[in-house]
Amino acid sequence: MHAGIIFLAVIVGSVLFHIFTPWYWTDVASNWGSMDDTITLTFWIGGGVFIAVCLFMVYCVIKFSYKEERKAEYKPEDKKLEIILTIATTLGVAALLAPGLIVWNQFINVPKNAIHVDVMAWQWGWQYRLPGEDGKLGSTKVANINDSNPFGIILEDPNGKDDVLIQSDVLHIKNNRPVKILLRSVDVLHNWYVPQFRAKMDAVPGTITYYWFEPNKIGEYEVLCAEYCGVGHYGMRGRVFVKSEQDYENWLQEQETFSDLVAKQGKKEFSKTKLAKK
Amino acid sequence: MADPKIEGYEFKPGYKGMARDTSSDQTMFKGVHWGKAMMWIFLLSDTFIFSCFLISYMKGRGSTTVEWPNPSEVFALNVGGVPVPLLLIAIMTFVLITSSGTMALAVKYGYERNRKMCGWLILATALGGLTFVGMQAFEWSKLIHEGVRPWTNPFGAPQFGSFFFMITGFHGTHVSIGVIFLSIYAYKTLAGHYDTGKRGWFTSMKGNYVEIEILGLYWHFVDLVWVFIFAFFYLW
Amino acid sequence: MSEDFNDNKTIQAQSSETTSGGGAGVTPDTDYVRPAEVADQDLYHGHSFITKWVFCQDAKVIGVQYFLLATFTGIIGLILSWLMRLQLGFPEVASFMTAEHYYQFVTMHGMIMVVYFLTALFLGGFGNYLIPLMTGARDMVFPYVNMVSFWMFFIAVGVLLASFFVPGGPTGSGWTLYPPQSILEGTPGSGMGIILMLISLSLFVIGFTMGGLNYLITVLQARTRGMTLMRMPLTVWGIFTATVLAMLAFPALLVSSIMMTLDKILGTSFFMPTILQAGEVLEYGGGSPILFQHLFWFFGHPEVYIVALPAFGIVSDLISVHSRKNIFGYRMMVWAIVVIGALSFFVWAHHMYVSGMHPWFGFFFATTTLIIAVPTALKVYNWILTLWRGNIRMNTVMLWCLGFIVTFVNGGITGIFLGNVIVDVPLSDTYFVVAHFHMVMGIAPLMVIMGAVYHWFPLVAGRMLSEKLGKWHFWFTFLGAYSIYFPMHYLGFIGVPRRYFEMYDSPYVTSAVELNQFISTAAFIVGAAQFILIYNIIVSLRIGKPAGKNPWKANSLEWLTPAVPPEHGNWGDKLPVVHRWPYDYSVPGAKEDFIPQTTPPSEVADTEAEKT
Repeated sequence: MHAGIIFLAVIVGSVLFHIFTPWYWTDVASNWGSMDDTITLTFWIGGGVFIAVCLFMVYCVIKFSYKEERKAEYKPEDKKLEIILTIATTLGVAALLAPGLIVWNQFINVPKNAIHVDVMAWQWGWQYRLPGEDGKLGSTKVANINDSNPFGIILEDPNGKDDVLIQSDVLHIKNNRPVKILLRSVDVLHNWYVPQFRAKMDAVPGTITYYWFEPNKIGEYEVLCAEYCGVGHYGMRGRVFVKSEQDYENWLQEQETFSDLVAKQGKKEFSKTKLAKK
Repeated sequence: MADPKIEGYEFKPGYKGMARDTSSDQTMFKGVHWGKAMMWIFLLSDTFIFSCFLISYMKGRGSTTVEWPNPSEVFALNVGGVPVPLLLIAIMTFVLITSSGTMALAVKYGYERNRKMCGWLILATALGGLTFVGMQAFEWSKLIHEGVRPWTNPFGAPQFGSFFFMITGFHGTHVSIGVIFLSIYAYKTLAGHYDTGKRGWFTSMKGNYVEIEILGLYWHFVDLVWVFIFAFFYLW
Repeated sequence: MSEDFNDNKTIQAQSSETTSGGGAGVTPDTDYVRPAEVADQDLYHGHSFITKWVFCQDAKVIGVQYFLLATFTGIIGLILSWLMRLQLGFPEVASFMTAEHYYQFVTMHGMIMVVYFLTALFLGGFGNYLIPLMTGARDMVFPYVNMVSFWMFFIAVGVLLASFFVPGGPTGSGWTLYPPQSILEGTPGSGMGIILMLISLSLFVIGFTMGGLNYLITVLQARTRGMTLMRMPLTVWGIFTATVLAMLAFPALLVSSIMMTLDKILGTSFFMPTILQAGEVLEYGGGSPILFQHLFWFFGHPEVYIVALPAFGIVSDLISVHSRKNIFGYRMMVWAIVVIGALSFFVWAHHMYVSGMHPWFGFFFATTTLIIAVPTALKVYNWILTLWRGNIRMNTVMLWCLGFIVTFVNGGITGIFLGNVIVDVPLSDTYFVVAHFHMVMGIAPLMVIMGAVYHWFPLVAGRMLSEKLGKWHFWFTFLGAYSIYFPMHYLGFIGVPRRYFEMYDSPYVTSAVELNQFISTAAFIVGAAQFILIYNIIVSLRIGKPAGKNPWKANSLEWLTPAVPPEHGNWGDKLPVVHRWPYDYSVPGAKEDFIPQTTPPSEVADTEAEKT
C-alpha cells in the first residue's frame, strides 16, 4: 500500500515539476511557433496517457494488494476491450501525426521570397555568404578553397562575382523576411542551430542541405553547432543579429563582395590547391 | 517431396497445413533436421549482408560524380590479340555452377549411403571451388597490374575498385571457407565417419549424412550470390 | 569417453506420461499428448574443471558466463558515466579531464551499454539460461557453437577494452561512429581506436550470429511434447523475436563497419566526400556520409528493440506471476511483439530527420514510427490490465515491474515527441533525446533486468535474495534514476545540445548549471546503490534462505526441474510433457492459485481452466 503512495508522489511530482519548471523553451523568435504548438498538443495527449496509465497502475496496486483469501480474476482475453483500446490509440496517434505532417510540409517548402544564405561550416567555425544583387549564389568547389578564396567560389561562374562574403561567425539577417539557410561543410558533419529559431539541419560535406525560417524578433542570438564534429564541437559558436530593414541595409553596404576580394588580391592563382596525404 | 512420416501427426495440404504445423507442438518445420533449419536461417542473415553490400554499391554507383568504368572493357581477356569481354567470369560462373551440380549429386549419393561416390563428388566440388578462387585471384592480380586499387583506378570512378575488391573479396572468402569445409567433409565421408556414427573432433556430436545436405545448402547459396554479383557488377 | 554421453536414452513414445507421476493405471484420453518427434538430445557432459566451468557446453553455464561478462562491461560503462557526469556537473573538480577524454568516455559508455551490456545480457544471459528450460529442452540444439559464441563475445570485449590502451586511445566519435569525423583527426581515437572498435563490433556480430542461430532453432525445432508456440511464456517470445531482429539487423552493422574500416585503412571513399583539413584537400572523394547513417540506423533501430522486446516478454511473466493472474490478452501480446519486431525495420530514418536526407522520407518515417506506437501502447494497457483485479504481491520483483511501467511509459511518450518529424526538428541533438533514450532504453529495461535477477536468482542459486536489501536497492535506483532523466528533458527544451564538453557562458544556459549539478549528484547516488545488489548477491549465495522448489509458485517449466538449481540436461530422465499455457493463475475451482504447465487436464477437470 505505501509503495503505491510513493509512485503516486512521483506522478504528482512530475506534473508539478512541469508546471513550475524554470527550464523551458526559449522565447520563439521565428515563424516556427507552430512547432511549439505541435509539441504542446503532444504534451496534452502524451502527458494525459502517461498520467492516466500511471494513476490506474497506482490504483490497482493499492486496491488489489495481496490477500491470502483474495482470488484474482481469471480472464485470459477481452476482445471487445482490446479493440476499443486499439481504435482509441490509433485515433490519438493520428491526432498527433496529422498536424505534425502539415507543419513538416511547410518546413520543406521554402517561400519564394526567401533570401538565400550560404552557411559554410568547418572544424570549428562558421562563415557566411549572401547572394548579392543578382540574388544568386555562385557555385563553389572545396578544392578551390584557400587563403585567397576562402569560400572556394568558382571563378568562371558569373553569379559569384557579387556574392557578399562574411568571413566571421557573425551573421546579420533582416527581420520579418524568410531566410533559406543553405548549409555546406568542407570537412565533417555540422549543424547550424539557433534555439530561438527552432529549425535546424545537418551540414553534410559533399552535398548542400537546407532549411528555412522567418525571424520575427529583433535581437542577438547565439548559434550552436548541433551535430558532433570532433573535439571543438562544443566551442563552435556563432552569432546572429536580426535587424530592422534599415539597419540591415546599412550593415550590408559595409560588407565585402567577392569581386572586392579579388581586386584586393591582385593577380593570384586561385585554383591551385595541395592534395594532402591522409 | 513427400511429407515425412511422424507418428501421431496428420499432415494437411497447402497453407492450412503450414498453419497447422506452426501451431503444433515440438517443431514448426516437421521432419526437418535442426541443422538444416539452422543453415537456412544463417543463409537468410548472410543474404542480408550481401544485400547491404549490393545496395550500397548501387547507391554509390548511382551517385557517382565521375564516369563509372565500362565492365565489359575492364573485365575483358585478351585471347590471341582479340579482347573477349567477360570471358574470365563466364568461365568462373560455369565452374561454380558445375560445382553446385556435383554437390547436388554428392547429397543424393550421401542419402543412398554410397560412401565412395559421395566423398569423391564432394572433393570434385571442393576442386571446383578452388578453381574459382584461383581464377578470382588471377583476375585480381590482372586488374592490380593494370592499376586498379581500392582507392583509385585508371578507368573511372574510384569507388569502382573499392566495391569490386570488397564484394568479390567477401564472396571469395565465403567460397574459400566452403572449400575448407568441403575438404573436411570429403575426408569424413571417405573415412566412413557417417557410416559408423563417429563423433566429431570439435563438437563431439555423432555424424549424419544430413550434414552433407546442410553443406550443400551453403554451397548453393554461395553460387547464387555469385550470380547476383555477376549480374549487378559485371553485366550492368 | 562413453561416460560423457548417455547412449542408452530411449525415445519417449508413450503418450500419457507426465512428469507428475503417471503411474501404471489407466489414464484418460484428455491427457493424450503426441509422442516425441525426434530422439532425445545426446549431450556432451564435461568432467574436468575446464569442460565444466570454462569451455562448457551447458547453456546454463554459458548464460551465467554471458551475464557476468556483460555485467563487468556494464560496470565499466557505469564508471564512464560517472566521469561524464563529473565533468557536466562539477567541471572544476574534473579539471584532469580534457575534451578528448570526455568524448572518448561518451563513446565507450554508449557502445558498451547498448551492445556489450544490454544486448549481451538479454540475449546471451537470459536467453541461454531460460530458453531451453522454458521450452522443455535439455539444452540448445548446437551446444558446441553456443559455447564458441560466448568466447567470441569474450574476445570482442577484449578487443574493445584494448582500445583504451592504444596510441590515441579509444574512439571518441560518439557511439554512432559517424563518418567522416570518426576516421579523421579532430576526433579522438581516429587512429587505432576506431579500428579496434570496428573489429570488436564485427567479432560481436559473428559471435551473436552463432548464439542467435541456437536460440532460434531451439525455440522452433526443439520444444518438448505439448509445448506449442502459443504455450510458450512471453519471455521466450520476447527473446525469440529479438533474436530474429538481430539476425537481420546485425548484417547492416557488419557491412558498415567493414566499409568504414576500408575507408580508414585502405583509403577507399565509401563514406568520404571531398574533405578539406588543415588547409589541404584529402585524397578522399565521392563518398556519402549519409549512406553510413542509413546502414547504421537500419541496424540501430532494430537494435533498440532487440533490447526492448526481451524486456517486454520478461516483465509480462514477472507481473503475471506476482499478481497471481494470467497476463491479460496473451495472444495480443504475442502479436504485438511480432508486429513491433517487423515494423522496427521500417522506422530507422527517424534517427535521420535532420541528416539532410531527402525531405519526403520524413513523411514516410514519421508515419511508420507513429504506427509502431500502437502495438506498443497495447502492451502497456495489457500490463496494467493484468494488475487490475489481481492479487498483487508487493515484493521486490513487483516493485521493479511497477518501476518499469512508469519509466517505460514516460520514455515511450517522449519517443512519440521525437518520432513526429517536425517536433524532432527543434529537439534533435539536444538533451531531450539523451533523456528519452536513457529513460526508455536504459532505465526501463534495467528495471526489468533487476526484477528478473530477484525473480530467477532462487532458481539459479537455490537461495532467495534478501527482500529488505532488495527494496532499498529498488527505491534508490528507481527514484534516483527518475530524478536524473525526467528533469533532463527540460535541458533539451532550453536548447542545450548533446555531446557538449561544456557550455561556456551561453546566456540562457547558465540557469542549467544547478540542474546539471543535481543530475550528477543523483547519478553518483544511483551508481553507488548498485553495490547493494552486489552485496545482496554475495551474502545470499552463502546465507540466503534456501529457495526450495518453485518458491514463487509459478507455472512455467523452468521451476519444475527435478533439481534446483537445475543440472546439466535440465530434466533428469524424463522430459516434461506440457498440457497448458503458463498463465493458469487463480483459476476458479482449482485447489491452489496456480496450475503448472505440466498438469494434465484430468487433474483439473473440475476447474474452469480454459483449453489453451
